[in-house]
Amino acid sequence: MRSTLYILLAFGMLAVFLEACSGPDTIADLSNESYQLLDSDSSSIIFPSHFRGETTVISFIYTHCPDVCPIITANMKNIQSGLADTSDVQFVEITFDPERDTPSVLAEYRKVYRLNDQFTLLTGQPAIIDSLMSRLHIVAKKAKIDSLQQDSSDYFMQHSNTIYIMDQNGRVRTEYPASVVPPENVIEDLKKIR
Amino acid sequence: MVLICSLLFLYACSSGKEQDTNPKEDVIPGKVELSDGWVRPGSKGMMSAVYLTISNGTAKRDTLAEVSSDVAKRAEVHESYKGENGMSGMRPAPNRIIEAGEELYLQPGGLHIMLISLNKDLVPGDSVEIDFSFKQTGTKTVRMPVKAQNP
Ligand SMILES: [Cu+2]
Repeated sequence: MRSTLYILLAFGMLAVFLEACSGPDTIADLSNESYQLLDSDSSSIIFPSHFRGETTVISFIYTHCPDVCPIITANMKNIQSGLADTSDVQFVEITFDPERDTPSVLAEYRKVYRLNDQFTLLTGQPAIIDSLMSRLHIVAKKAKIDSLQQDSSDYFMQHSNTIYIMDQNGRVRTEYPASVVPPENVIEDLKKIR
Repeated sequence: MVLICSLLFLYACSSGKEQDTNPKEDVIPGKVELSDGWVRPGSKGMMSAVYLTISNGTAKRDTLAEVSSDVAKRAEVHESYKGENGMSGMRPAPNRIIEAGEELYLQPGGLHIMLISLNKDLVPGDSVEIDFSFKQTGTKTVRMPVKAQNP
């Protein structure tokens, strides 16, 4: 019994030690990268430098998704409303369907879900969006559906279900299952990272 | 598909037989109940989703065959599913069977009615009529509120 405890303790210390050596976990360091994206008012935004100095909660959506993506957006809003102080936190939703999600479509989405100024909805040229998505390990593929085949613009997407926290320096630090993570978990980490 | 077809086939056979030999077990219309319905908001031309609980209080299984609404070009029964690596996707879920005495839950992140290409904006406070057609019970129409999120 005792020895088991010691072994566990030793493993625990080893884990702490290893973590200290590798520094803070970073999923992707975008601090030296720049992606020219478009805001929902069509203005140009350089990602991530636009958000430098603020801790940013990032999720990925497409607006033709009426079931899971609104859950992700609602979860982002729950994180926002659960934060006692949101002064240095930004919320960003990036579409992985830039062909259909033009700035004006994203503007409609923000209106429908009543997102305030702390939310930024981003789209961009498909090639730029694609390179950012692959940099962030976000996968999104079009899925044709039989009943919708008459029109090539009718498709659904199979996509990653991810929320990230990016720190003030453009380093993506933590990752969550977007539609199911309890907001408290993200809030707790936000307090540590910001 | 094969499974669904064969189930339907079996069902068609058995219900025919029951009607011949035991008319007392006929479906009592009006016993399929639709409750807790709500509709997500959405903009004209875009999509929305409908959620509700369908209770089959009849003595026979029923099938949700078709859904339609004046507010959308098309309505389809879909389900969201988890794919490999935590991926999220959506696919049609036609001809859902509801066993006698059982309930079918359409909830966020799972089964839902997809309203495809809305004819008008849906904003919280509006209400929307949806027609559900069941193979046994026939068509039922329900009016449901538009809500940003179910409380
Ligand atoms: Cu759907």
